[in-house]
Amino acid sequence: MMEHEFRYNGETYDVVLERTPRIWTYAQHCAHPREDGRLRIYLENGTKAWAHVAKVGDVWWVHHCGRIYTLERLEAGASSNEQHGGLVAPMPGVVLEVLVSAGQSVEAGQTLMVLEAMKMEHRIVASDNGTVTVVHFSAGDRVEQGATLLDVEDTE
Amino acid sequence: MIQRVLVANRGEIACRVLRACREAGLSSVAVYAENDRLGMFKELADDSVLLEGDTIAETYLNGAAIIEAAQQTGADAIHPGFGFLSERAEFAQAVMDAGLVWIGPSPQAIEQMGDKMSARQIMKRAGVPVIPGVEIEEEDETLAMQAIRAAAQETGYPLLLKATAGGGGKGMRVVQTPDELEQGAQAARREALAAFGDGRVYVEKLLMKSKHVEIQILADAHGRCIHLGERECSVQRRHQKVFEEAPCSSMTPSLRERMGQAAVAAAKAVDYVGAGTVEFLLADDQSFYFLEMNTRIQVEHPVTEMVTGVDLVREQLRIADGQPMAVDELNIRGHSIEVRLYAEDATNNFLPAIGPLAVFRPPVGPGIRLDTGVREGDEVTPHYDPMLAKLIVFAPTRQEALQRMRRALDEFVVLGTTTNIGFLRDLCDVPEVISGDTYTSMIDDLYPDGYGFVPKQEHLDVALLSAAVAETTGMHRLRTAHKQSSGDVASPFQSLNRRYP
Repeated sequence: MMEHEFRYNGETYDVVLERTPRIWTYAQHCAHPREDGRLRIYLENGTKAWAHVAKVGDVWWVHHCGRIYTLERLEAGASSNEQHGGLVAPMPGVVLEVLVSAGQSVEAGQTLMVLEAMKMEHRIVASDNGTVTVVHFSAGDRVEQGATLLDVEDTE
Repeated sequence: MIQRVLVANRGEIACRVLRACREAGLSSVAVYAENDRLGMFKELADDSVLLEGDTIAETYLNGAAIIEAAQQTGADAIHPGFGFLSERAEFAQAVMDAGLVWIGPSPQAIEQMGDKMSARQIMKRAGVPVIPGVEIEEEDETLAMQAIRAAAQETGYPLLLKATAGGGGKGMRVVQTPDELEQGAQAARREALAAFGDGRVYVEKLLMKSKHVEIQILADAHGRCIHLGERECSVQRRHQKVFEEAPCSSMTPSLRERMGQAAVAAAKAVDYVGAGTVEFLLADDQSFYFLEMNTRIQVEHPVTEMVTGVDLVREQLRIADGQPMAVDELNIRGHSIEVRLYAEDATNNFLPAIGPLAVFRPPVGPGIRLDTGVREGDEVTPHYDPMLAKLIVFAPTRQEALQRMRRALDEFVVLGTTTNIGFLRDLCDVPEVISGDTYTSMIDDLYPDGYGFVPKQEHLDVALLSAAVAETTGMHRLRTAHKQSSGDVASPFQSLNRRYP
């Protein structure tokens, strides 16, 4: 028996695998791993299918029935690293415009910053009402993916 | 006689053109930026030249460096592909001034059609209907905004703001109501300025529920100018085409003839030589309006190739060489559909995605064509357009083509980078797509709150099972090539680990 924890779309899933000599089972479905990065799947309803898998970083990418599932593997006991109040760059790009300054109060939905990435404009929008505490970049700055652009303190 | 062609482009279209050169018995030269050093297109050329610099202005938009590269490597002709320098009249002129063959129409034709205003005038004179609209000449922000407000009142809402110098959906905004005008106009001007170095915009009445239908034309230097039927590209997202087909589902032989003749008239009006496309909006009463002429090969050219049997790039090479085109009488058979695969997250407002192509297994089988510039092991970077590939199917009927597309998309495995494959697969099941009643704003109408995907519990369970078994049995150790590639020159070990099925 093996136990793993995965995160998919913000939800955490506990997977307990049962093992018979060559076949693994979970939720009544069975899988037989192959050498080539695929698994033969025997579904509960009696049909067969394939799954293709690859791991990039901590994330397992699974292709099954024409769809992709990205399952982040969580180490046992690891805490989640949720963002708190920071607004991050969704991808590498250049800051086109900063529309707010530190100390300014903002409303949910308000555009705070405009980025250009891959030749498209992206608006960084406040998720809640709050006050801007720090603006980390100014117009013309290049930002990396995941860089915190502004800190906003939520209004209680 | 053309002997050696330099391809002034990258990625998928560079591969397409380089392969055509190989087939035509011509040798070829690629130019590449440093961050494309490992690009597939570079490997398909006989020779390659590095374009130094970090920005596209220094590399793929650097006409002088590209012409110098051609002279250095003994190339005698330049093919621009699409995008980049393909519709820059001054580049075409510079190529010719350097004594090289420009594989495209004359600089005069590019200039006349590239400027949307002069194109409209020419079309009007040639008797082709155009959409009511106003050009904003003012460069100054405040004056331009005033003029845009006045023009908006004249055309009415909803309206479309377009970059005068533009194409490819950049600098284009739909404005539904007067209170959206300010923000839309600013964004359109800014995008236009960033993409084309020209912030001028054009205000146009937006025709509702219309189809985007375009006519492919070919003209040679021996006076022959023909059309090769239409492509329908109505399924668009933010004016970026995603699903293209030939023929158009609502086309009739007489309408095709009328639109074809209009397109030929348009081409003849500017003494066009080469391959080009005349774009129209087709209203549901079968009236059509000139949109613009693209003076280059287009992204969606393969669907025309599939249904006509004509190799358009090969014809471009032939025509540029001064030979007559090798095309018989137009004979359209079967149905072809193309979808554009983008590295983007459809469920997150189509945000472009990056990452490694840890697994890239395209579908195969009868009636399937893949035009791509990437392969397994490549890295998708934020430097360029996120289009990874074009998947094209061909079948005897539209219904069978759609069935083939569903099968092909289901088989397409891309792991490591998020793509729009699932979104494209869902499009194939949309009633309007099945019936052929597609129109240009369909995607916005289908997904007013954005596209979403909710997996079936059974499929998610299988995915969890697969990941858990893969983790337990150490399946990730089978693929050591895709850890975190640093972007350095490939080590031989990395190449050895690449799997060849």
